[in-house]
Amino acid sequence: MPTRTARTFAVLLACATALTGLAGCSGSGDQSADDKAQLEIWVRKPPGSNTEKTHQQLAERFTAQTGIPTHVTALFDDFETKLQQAAAQKKLPDLIVNDTAQLGTMLKQGLLRSVDRKSLQGGDQLIPATWDAAKGPDGAYYGVPFSAQSFALFIRKDWRERLGLPQPTSWDQLDALATAFTTGDPDGNGKNDTYGYVVPGTTKRGYLDWYYSSFLWSGGADYFTGTPGKLKPAVDSPAALATAQWLKKQFCTDKSVVPGAVTAETTQAHPMFETGKGGIYLTGPYNMARFDKSLGKDKYEVVPLPAGPGGQAAVLAEGENTYLMAGSHNPKGQQKYAEYLISAEGQTLGMAGDTDGNVVRLPVNKQVDLAKVRTDQRWQVFDQAFRQAGRYTPVVPEWTPFRQASADALNGLVADCGSDPKAVLGKLAGTFAEELKKQGAGS
Amino acid sequence: MAARGTGAAALRRSLSPWLFLAPALVLFGAFKFLPMWRAVTMSVHQVRPYLGDRWVGGDNYHQVLTDDAFLGAIGRTLLLAVGQTGGSILLGLALALLLEGTARHLWIVRTAVFLPTVTAMAVVAEVWRILYYPAADGAVNTLLGYVGVGPSQFLNSPDSALWSVMGVGIWRGAPYDMMIFVAALAGIDRTLYEAAAVDGAGVLRRLGHVTLPALRPAFTILLTLAALRGLRVFTEIYLLTNGGPSGSTEVLMTLVYKLGLERGELGVASAGSMVLLAASVLLTLALRLRRDRTGKAAP
Repeated sequence: MPTRTARTFAVLLACATALTGLAGCSGSGDQSADDKAQLEIWVRKPPGSNTEKTHQQLAERFTAQTGIPTHVTALFDDFETKLQQAAAQKKLPDLIVNDTAQLGTMLKQGLLRSVDRKSLQGGDQLIPATWDAAKGPDGAYYGVPFSAQSFALFIRKDWRERLGLPQPTSWDQLDALATAFTTGDPDGNGKNDTYGYVVPGTTKRGYLDWYYSSFLWSGGADYFTGTPGKLKPAVDSPAALATAQWLKKQFCTDKSVVPGAVTAETTQAHPMFETGKGGIYLTGPYNMARFDKSLGKDKYEVVPLPAGPGGQAAVLAEGENTYLMAGSHNPKGQQKYAEYLISAEGQTLGMAGDTDGNVVRLPVNKQVDLAKVRTDQRWQVFDQAFRQAGRYTPVVPEWTPFRQASADALNGLVADCGSDPKAVLGKLAGTFAEELKKQGAGS
Repeated sequence: MAARGTGAAALRRSLSPWLFLAPALVLFGAFKFLPMWRAVTMSVHQVRPYLGDRWVGGDNYHQVLTDDAFLGAIGRTLLLAVGQTGGSILLGLALALLLEGTARHLWIVRTAVFLPTVTAMAVVAEVWRILYYPAADGAVNTLLGYVGVGPSQFLNSPDSALWSVMGVGIWRGAPYDMMIFVAALAGIDRTLYEAAAVDGAGVLRRLGHVTLPALRPAFTILLTLAALRGLRVFTEIYLLTNGGPSGSTEVLMTLVYKLGLERGELGVASAGSMVLLAASVLLTLALRLRRDRTGKAAP
């Protein structure tokens, strides 16, 4: 009997030790390094998708060339949640390939290793702007650019041609097109059931701000003024106010936005475009494969976002970085893998030609010519938009709270047509100032 | 090991219940109590897994209890809990009274009515998003159109979003309450109805003086369960609106989720959870106390 009690106590004790182990925390990886230890790689891709297969191919090639074993895990929904869980257990993967926007959050929690841009083989071959998205607020780099992407307008070509309207080259023309799509029965079914803009307007993950940022910049406004570390909120500037009023007009006056937009995330917005509810959608190149299949390649066209009244054309640039995670047993292997991913071979393989298995949307390596790998001309629109008008989100210690606050404010602005844009933006500027202070990035 | 002497026998007698409980205790300890304890410690720290947690004392709680977002969320959580609990109980009772009995067709109808409760919430939410489509050709709006009302924005207007979510909650919760009521109704002594009828009581008086008093235990258990369920409401909000539009459906759990898992503020999120835990415990105790008192007062 006592032996069993002892065992029970031992189990209890083991549990207790395991949990106190979680609470007590030391610094980052001082574990014994092993240059041949397996690299665990997490990628934010749907499991079973062709994009996962491309990542597996990349890893296999790397293993064949270097002899370092690798294991790729694809996770899509709740990627960040699972990463948090792994962090709490102190069992992070060695590398992850994830959104550039996640850098600040992970950096704040100490999950990332810094990267020496100069000693990274092939680091000088990258488009310089892509490094901006891997930079921490202290000026050091905490990731290696892997893929870039920008956004463009997807417009129902068949609708536009039926109504005899030109491709929009200004915001007025864009609005006129949206209104015509709403009132002009562009699908010719005799019913008043079509709309102009498709907007993922939920506050979830800050989607509305993510959508809106391209318009904000194109309208000549910005989130902040000043230099990194000494920023001031600018979201209530006259240009920002005009752009916000323009957005509100689409929702409240023209009513040219698809119904349900204020609670829709992208998974609910895509079908609105596919099923012929809305005809104008600012989104990324990754949707071309999907819409070609569901809607048909001949039904829509990809057009660059025109400049707003106060500024020049700008679109949100984002992409994915390779992050070298803390606590790895194989730090040298981590760097080698990141180097392989930015090499001409890694980038070309990742682009996967014209297939939907592409994990490199736009190459970050200057030596790789997009037109040679992909024949689909529409990619050129995105590539040009990225190189000429691409803008990454501002460099602050953590962008997520700003994005969330902005999405909350804009969502309130367009969901409640009685709202006062000036007051809403003024309040948002106050929230921004507070958050800047909290993050130590304000002036 | 044989026990020797009375001392050892007594020890063995007092140990054996604990030994039988041990497997459950170990599992509960590892998967419930220790994580809960971890949440308590996190609620007084700024949590940074790889940099070491920083002690902040009551700051997280102070933020939770003074922040406008949290206070608003607490208010909406309470409103939703009260509305869904009350609505589900009323509708459940009405359904139970209509569908009580042993006939075969009633059994089939009851099963059909019960379906919402066993359907996965993700499916329910997606179906209701479609039903609530906020244009004139949406399903519910078409019905409203027949009686000359609408179209309503439902989930997409700050004025109607919370009520729309509440509607889904009631639609889903009522059948569960109905089943409990049906079971309780079956336990009522039929002779009481007969005696009341003989005394000249109509349908309403029989309902008020026989049925409802007999259902009191069912009410208590439903109130407790539903109130707790109402406080922890998360899935339907997360899937239907994620707190929007304009924060009009933000409840405590969605806010805790956003802070903890989207913004990495695990400390503040834990403090929010602790506040919710305290509210749940208080509510349960209050309901228990009330039940004990009414229990004693009853003959």
